[in-house]
Amino acid sequence: MSDVNESFLELSGITKRFGDFVAVDDINLKIAEGEFFTLVGPSGSGKTTMIRMLVGMDQPSDGEMRLKGQVMNNLPANKRPTCMVFQSLALFPHKSVGENIEFSIKIAGQDKAARRTRVNQLMEQLRLPLSYYEKSVMQCSGGERQRVALARALAFDPDILFFDEPLSALDFRLRKALEKELKDIHRETGKTFVYITHSLEEAMVMSDRIAIMRQGRIVQVGTPHEIYNYPKNKFVAQFMGEVNTLAVKKSGKNKVKVVGGDDEFTVLDDLADFTTGFLIIRPEILKIGKAAAKMKNRIKGVAYNDYALGSRVQYQIIIDQFEEHWLVERLQDEPYEGRRGDMVEIGWQPADSILVSE
Amino acid sequence: MAGTTQNSKLQWLRNPGVLAALPASIFLLIGFAGPLLMVGAYSFMPSRSFSLNQIPTFENYISIIHDSYYLSFFWSLAMAVIVVILLFIICYPIAYGMAKLFNKWANLVTALIAVPILISENIRLFGWVLILLKNGILDGSLQSLFGVSASGLLFTVPAIILGLVYVYLPFTLFPLVIGISMVPDTLKEAASDLGATRWQIFREVELPLSMPGLMIGGILTFVLVLGSLAEAKILGGQAIVMIADDIESAFTFAQNWPKGSALSVLLIALSGFIVFLLFRRVDLDRVIGRR
Amino acid sequence: MLKNKFSRRNFLQQTGTWAAAAAAVGVLPNIAHAAREKELNIYCWEGYNSDDVLDPFRKEFSAKVRAEGLTSDPDAVNKLRAGETKVWDIINVNNPWAREQMYPEGLIKPISRERFEPYYNKMMPAFKPPYKWAMDSKGKELLGMTQRFGPFSFVVNTDKISRKMAEDQGFKLFLDPAMKGRYGLLTYDNWNIYHMCIAADIHPFKKHSKAEIAKFGEVAKQIFNGAKNLTDDLVAMNLALINGEIDAYFTGGTYTASPARLDGAKNIRGITPNSGPMDGKGGIVWIELTSVVNNPNPSALAEDFLEYVQRPDVSKKVAFAEGTYNPVTQMGSSDVLSKFSKEELDAIQWDSLEQEMTNSVDYDINPDYAEMYELYSAAKRERKT
Repeated sequence: MSDVNESFLELSGITKRFGDFVAVDDINLKIAEGEFFTLVGPSGSGKTTMIRMLVGMDQPSDGEMRLKGQVMNNLPANKRPTCMVFQSLALFPHKSVGENIEFSIKIAGQDKAARRTRVNQLMEQLRLPLSYYEKSVMQCSGGERQRVALARALAFDPDILFFDEPLSALDFRLRKALEKELKDIHRETGKTFVYITHSLEEAMVMSDRIAIMRQGRIVQVGTPHEIYNYPKNKFVAQFMGEVNTLAVKKSGKNKVKVVGGDDEFTVLDDLADFTTGFLIIRPEILKIGKAAAKMKNRIKGVAYNDYALGSRVQYQIIIDQFEEHWLVERLQDEPYEGRRGDMVEIGWQPADSILVSE
Repeated sequence: MAGTTQNSKLQWLRNPGVLAALPASIFLLIGFAGPLLMVGAYSFMPSRSFSLNQIPTFENYISIIHDSYYLSFFWSLAMAVIVVILLFIICYPIAYGMAKLFNKWANLVTALIAVPILISENIRLFGWVLILLKNGILDGSLQSLFGVSASGLLFTVPAIILGLVYVYLPFTLFPLVIGISMVPDTLKEAASDLGATRWQIFREVELPLSMPGLMIGGILTFVLVLGSLAEAKILGGQAIVMIADDIESAFTFAQNWPKGSALSVLLIALSGFIVFLLFRRVDLDRVIGRR
Repeated sequence: MLKNKFSRRNFLQQTGTWAAAAAAVGVLPNIAHAAREKELNIYCWEGYNSDDVLDPFRKEFSAKVRAEGLTSDPDAVNKLRAGETKVWDIINVNNPWAREQMYPEGLIKPISRERFEPYYNKMMPAFKPPYKWAMDSKGKELLGMTQRFGPFSFVVNTDKISRKMAEDQGFKLFLDPAMKGRYGLLTYDNWNIYHMCIAADIHPFKKHSKAEIAKFGEVAKQIFNGAKNLTDDLVAMNLALINGEIDAYFTGGTYTASPARLDGAKNIRGITPNSGPMDGKGGIVWIELTSVVNNPNPSALAEDFLEYVQRPDVSKKVAFAEGTYNPVTQMGSSDVLSKFSKEELDAIQWDSLEQEMTNSVDYDINPDYAEMYELYSAAKRERKT
């Protein structure tokens, strides 16, 4: 794993119990200054509880949170040098864009001129027209509101900026655009961002490091590259998106056999400490038709259907003996030449598959 | 452009909204606007006449201005302002509790506050008479328990205010509960996260956002108190004369419908003017976030 | 006023129709033209609307009777003017209204002299036919039946102010500086005005000079300013009197004092002054007159009801219906009088009734009422407490 030479935010043994239910279970984490760190997990994984504790809206049942070495467990939200962009954005509907942005510095008692300067600077940074100062936030578009919410949080000049899935309600295109914009702003401001989302894809685009949460625990922490290429288990692998998964057991050195079947495949690993697990093969790595013939591992199935994904085409292959549908993707300009219903061969090299535990 | 206007002139009747609103509009026109227009028309008839077929005159208004009716207007307005302010102070914490804190107990509290409305106002006020009367429940209890007297409470202005606060509490409270429950908790969390103290959250977020409820409750109570008379009569022994009492007297004992009408018109105009001013100051649409 | 009679009624009917359009939906079926044979609508001072009085009538005539209590004469007459002659069959208000206003305006209609005059013969001597208030101004038509009546001046707590002193002083009592803050004012506005006239040594039922009206204004102010409380609720006023909040109240009589007296508060007593400005008299007596409304679709039972309430047992029930207790003119016959117990007779001050009647004039119309009302209501508003 990547090194964290300086622990800006340090969590040790953070646990949150609601009655008998353990929402967050013994979390240990170090986040560096200036890092874009993302907590990813499905709903119910405890990521929302985590962030509520981090901003001070909930107190942990156990453990310690340190910011720059200072324990901040019992510091109320309004005393913490951190700030959050809410899922609902939580913009003040009765205030204009400018009034929303300047909220924290007005509270802090800054005079009008200083506030205006700061607001203008933030609006410029976030590409909001200066004429929006007087505009009601409720008249702004979804993307503009995101920017206002971000500007409002930045105006507070927090040590850490937390994000609670702020993009989840937006349509795909806008979300894609804002993901990049957010990463740009992270770069420009140099602030520490801690982001939570249920979309690993979103996390991949923006994050320096990602922690994947499941049932209150952290399953894996790493850079997007590490997570993508070396998922620790089936959960992480599947969480990443559409992958082909096959339950296998060791059948020899560099050999695995499908559980309940006869097909045997070659893997790179010598399987020194492996007995059973899962073979993960990504759709975009699979070869189909003639191209599959040169591959070390091959299997036959029926081309059932195909889906255009823009730059690529995805094929659904029914493999009888696995009682599974596999997905194969090819670039659009080099499509598979057969027809629907044809028997087709698919294949991959040992280095292209990933072997994970349960 | 002219063509479309022409067209829309013919079209508006077919609009389902217009059609659906028609019965209620007609009902309102006959049941609400009709009598109001009658009152308006009557206010310009010669004093003590019972007919509209006469030459209009301003004599009623002139005599009202020259007479001491300003006293009744003043007292009614003063009572309305005082009662609304007192009720805001009393109701805000209760409403806050009902909207955010009491959870399942809120229904019980609602019932406890709402049930007395089912009992005639006069009877409830009379209950207060029995409490405040010399040698009554309060005075008698204090005398026998502590040897102090609490007579002299009845038939005073504070007794009237007590009665008004008591009777109109639900009219301020319930809109306020709705107003306060309209403020999303996340907004308060956001404000706190941005460094606001409790008081700043109240001033900057809760108060402005519960303004619709506050306004509706306030205006409702204000207008009701402005038109009230039972409290001043029963608890106050008419220590002051409310304008509604003057209007009632003009229509009945004085047998002077035009003057009663003119007083009514002035009262309606006064409440309308104040409500108009309030709505201009507080832009409800903006508070709700529609603009 | 009278020359506008026709258009006024017309207009009031319109107003009534406008304003009551919504509410009247419930009333309209009642005025449908067919079923008025067995239907009777009564608008009356409380008492006639009690089930004690009405239930036997309902049974005997298998009638559908609806009765509503009224709370002020002018209010009731206003309602008839506003078109409710279509609704009501019987109206019961105080004596001057029938003769001076309702009959001339066509709101009520005469009843059969032949059928009803024998009942007047059985009443107390003062009501022998032709009784002035039951007749139209020409003395030809009989406009209704009398029943309840009562002297009406003021009420004192005799533990604090002796009956003799009160009767001797009359309304001057309330002008005594020592009484300031010790009396209440029962705001039956029209009565207050008459009583304030008497306090000002003015005959209330005659045309007044400017000086007299000005004097009235002064007295009105003084009486308002000296009053501890104002209310139009006789129960509240009696309560204040019994509890010692006040020692007397301005405007009152048998009608208001009797409930307290029947409850045992014998120290609460209606007072009729021994003397005053009305040809030497200082008290006023009211007499209720029950008339038949000029309903365009009249009930067949209206006159039967007037006859029914003359019966001895019903007369007693009317006298002692819920709320207030009053003498009835039918007590002139012994079969009615014998129905009253000693306590009941004491509650309505039977012992002094004759003397009080002698010292009183009949309730009437005050020709300067409108002008005096302005002064009265100004005094009320400008009251200094």
